Amino acid sequence: MSIVAVLIETTENKVKPANFGILTAARETGQDEIYGFVTGVDPQMCKDDLAKFGVQKIISIEAEGVDLTSKPDLQAKAIIAALRQYGATTLLGLSSTVGKDILARVAAQLGAPLVLDCLSIDLQKRTVRKPYFAGKTVANLKVSGEYFLCGIRANSIEPIEAQTAAEIGSFRAEIGDDDSYVITEVIKNESGKVDLSEANVIVAGGRPVASAEHFEMLEKCAATMNGVVGASRVAVDEGSASHSIQVGQTGKIVNPKLYIACGISGAIQHYAGMKTSQVIVAINSDKDSPIFTRCDYGIVGDIFEVVPALTAELSKQSA
Amino acid sequence: MQSHDAIYMTVKAILMTGLLLGASGYFFYKLKFLFALMNSVEGKRTYTPDRIGERVKVLLTDIIGQKNVRRKLMPGLAHTLIFFGFLAVQPHSLVMMIEGIFPGFSAAQVVPGFFSLYLQVADILAFMVLLGLGYGLYRRTVLKPDYLTNGLDAKLIILFTSIIIITFHIYNAFHLVLPSHGFDYSRCFTVSGVFASILNLSSLSPAMQQSGLEITYWVHILTIFGFMLYIPGSKHLHLLASIPNVFYKSLDIEKPIMITDIEDEDAETFGLAKLHELNWKQVLDLYACTECGRCEERCPAANTGKPLSPKKLIHNMKVELLANGNSLVKKEGGENLPPLVGDETGSITKDELWSCTSCRGCEDICPVNIQHLDIIFEARKNQVLMEAEFPAELQEAFSSLENQSNPWGFSEDTRANWCKDLDVPLMADNPDADILWFVGCAGSFEDSGIETSKAIASILKKAGINFAILGTEERCNGDMARRCGNEYLAQMMIAENVEIFNRYKPKRVLTGCAHCYNTIKNEYPGFGANFDVVSHVDFIDELITSGKLQVRANGLSKNITYHDSCYLGRWNGKYDSPRSILSAINPEGALREMDKNRDNAMCCGAGGGRMFMEETQGERINNVRTREAIGTGADIVSTACPFCITMLKDGMRDNEGTQEVCDIAQLVNAAV
Repeated sequence: MSIVAVLIETTENKVKPANFGILTAARETGQDEIYGFVTGVDPQMCKDDLAKFGVQKIISIEAEGVDLTSKPDLQAKAIIAALRQYGATTLLGLSSTVGKDILARVAAQLGAPLVLDCLSIDLQKRTVRKPYFAGKTVANLKVSGEYFLCGIRANSIEPIEAQTAAEIGSFRAEIGDDDSYVITEVIKNESGKVDLSEANVIVAGGRPVASAEHFEMLEKCAATMNGVVGASRVAVDEGSASHSIQVGQTGKIVNPKLYIACGISGAIQHYAGMKTSQVIVAINSDKDSPIFTRCDYGIVGDIFEVVPALTAELSKQSA
Repeated sequence: MQSHDAIYMTVKAILMTGLLLGASGYFFYKLKFLFALMNSVEGKRTYTPDRIGERVKVLLTDIIGQKNVRRKLMPGLAHTLIFFGFLAVQPHSLVMMIEGIFPGFSAAQVVPGFFSLYLQVADILAFMVLLGLGYGLYRRTVLKPDYLTNGLDAKLIILFTSIIIITFHIYNAFHLVLPSHGFDYSRCFTVSGVFASILNLSSLSPAMQQSGLEITYWVHILTIFGFMLYIPGSKHLHLLASIPNVFYKSLDIEKPIMITDIEDEDAETFGLAKLHELNWKQVLDLYACTECGRCEERCPAANTGKPLSPKKLIHNMKVELLANGNSLVKKEGGENLPPLVGDETGSITKDELWSCTSCRGCEDICPVNIQHLDIIFEARKNQVLMEAEFPAELQEAFSSLENQSNPWGFSEDTRANWCKDLDVPLMADNPDADILWFVGCAGSFEDSGIETSKAIASILKKAGINFAILGTEERCNGDMARRCGNEYLAQMMIAENVEIFNRYKPKRVLTGCAHCYNTIKNEYPGFGANFDVVSHVDFIDELITSGKLQVRANGLSKNITYHDSCYLGRWNGKYDSPRSILSAINPEGALREMDKNRDNAMCCGAGGGRMFMEETQGERINNVRTREAIGTGADIVSTACPFCITMLKDGMRDNEGTQEVCDIAQLVNAAV
């Protein structure tokens, strides 16, 4: 039995749901002890979520007199100290903006290999699957060396619950402050909701829903599936949605499991941003709309009838 | 009295000599400095003045003929009047100077016949300047068009010129009332005679008349010297720089983007980072600008509330260049200049740089042939290749081009899927085809583009053309990446296409997209692929004219408007063939031209990579253009570029227009 450490990402004191797939992958052998590393957050706030997905120990990583969240180099240094302290050689994380930053610093400071953007991992063989050429080919890579560091793509592993009783501990790294660079400000997008590019379910609206109250209709529908709302360029231009939720060539590139396009014609500029969705459902009153050539399921109908009906049915099921 | 006169003449001669030497000395010193500054810059491009005959002809039409300036009629006429009148009084002023230095000399006595004739002409032409200036003043005080910089500079120039001309007339008016020494001034001065009677000069005493003549003399001469000193530091430097700038202009409409040697291992920087990296012709461009604002009046970005104005861009660079002139001439400090592009320092802000649609309206209309886009493209290269600074939206298009060779990121092995049921032959199966049709990314992947491609395929079949496409061997032509400054990515794709072209050695390359056409026709030769390239508008026109394509009797009978795509129009001069096609297929309908058509056409907003950027500032360009199209009352809005179609279709939806937007090939296919 060895220890698998997972770098847990949080947002506003909550564990990002994208971590659950990573934790599922970490439990793969069923014999390892899972440690969740958190920084700059109250570990108590993460306990329930992490325990549900099998984390045995939540380690809050701290350092005397240093705000680790604003000093990524020192955070990496502290993580390395923690890995050494617990004798862990495996560190998993999300291949997200934060993950790519911190994992790369850890790898660089350790002089260890790092694989990002992994689709799946095999802890015993120390191999990973990783796409190349924009997903046209997938390679199996074997990672050699003492450390096994991987960043896993969000939503690529199905999260499976495995309740444990997580124990909370803290690790205080003996590192001094230094003048490495400091993050002075993080500019967040306006919506403050789940980042579209990490969402599992997206309900997106186009021209017909280009008003705030119509977007509420989509939000209600999305809420039944723990999804988020996206928008086409037109809806953003009309001012009813912020650019941060625009899906498309010049907006967000998303790859949810389910994408419901409501009143979106499916022009190439929009399709380019969501074509990697696992399942695309289109609702449009124009049966000749190009979206119907690009979706898995198409509903020809008025979105103002179809969406509320869908919301009602989904609420019934979840209730 | 006699001795007083003699003393005055001596003093006048000495003063005049001193002033002439001083003013000319300073003038030539400033010229030498401007010339040295022009030679101090390090940009590589060398301009060889080839085709001298044609260049001389351009000088005759554009400078002597003032043809280019008169593309804007009223200001152009005013300019023509001022230009000739101002030139006409110069010999007279020179004679005045010589007569001041050598009191015994008098042109009226030496060459009376010739001088008389000259004065007759100059008198009339000088008055024309006043008419021209009058219009100029009216334009600047009453009309006040937005695009015109209305600063002190312009007003001073009008003032200087007016004083010179008015004193010319008054000086000559005094000659009419003073003893003529046998020279008949009365025949020469039609206009000055009017000045003499209005001012009632004959009522003055002879002594007053003589003093008046001398005072006018000095006001005239001193104003000329003042003007001479003022010119090199003002926008009127245009007076000196325009002629060489027009002489060195690019004689052809077609123009490739400069090739950057990305393999050069000694290169420390790519693109245009700082002012001292301009080339001498670009410095001459800056000198030649007189802020007439025609570029700004045309610019689709400036007209829809974007921060870019081509005039401001050139002017700001000129100001920055002159401000740093001394250190640049000494070849020190070029590297210490602030970067050309920057929001705090520098001459061009990032928003300005990326607002450009590369429609080329500015270059086309510029009366002195300034090449704004040479600067914009090179500055974008520097931003992308050296600074990695570009609008975030472009990242996705760049990586899609890199991975899949199309900006939307569709799998490249689906490039030929649009025609899988259409029996369109591949070059691989039909290498001897007469026509290699380069379909392009939009034609292969984008819905409206595919409709156009299907129409072209059908036309080619109806006309019995032996053609083939490259299918999955085709790569993006590189237009968007190049115009967005990603020269490295563009050259990668171009190299692949060039290799495949050279393998098939096509007899002729047909394109269905304005951007593909421009790049393959004008830029691929620089990369080693020199083939006969034809745009679908020219090719279809040929087919109809030669009778290979028979138009149905009566044709379409619709009211149609045609939107000139910039890359067929201003970049390649293809204005006639689409219109010729429309009149052939629509004999009973009408071509409803938009107000802005042909070389004056407004861009759809998608060029220069703007298709793949968000348009968040001001009004959307495509909406403005679409409203113009709707305003023609046409049933159909036709064009010949897939990006234009996308923009106009979007504009049609935003403006709730019901007109059909389509490619001219679709109309042809419906009419044959």
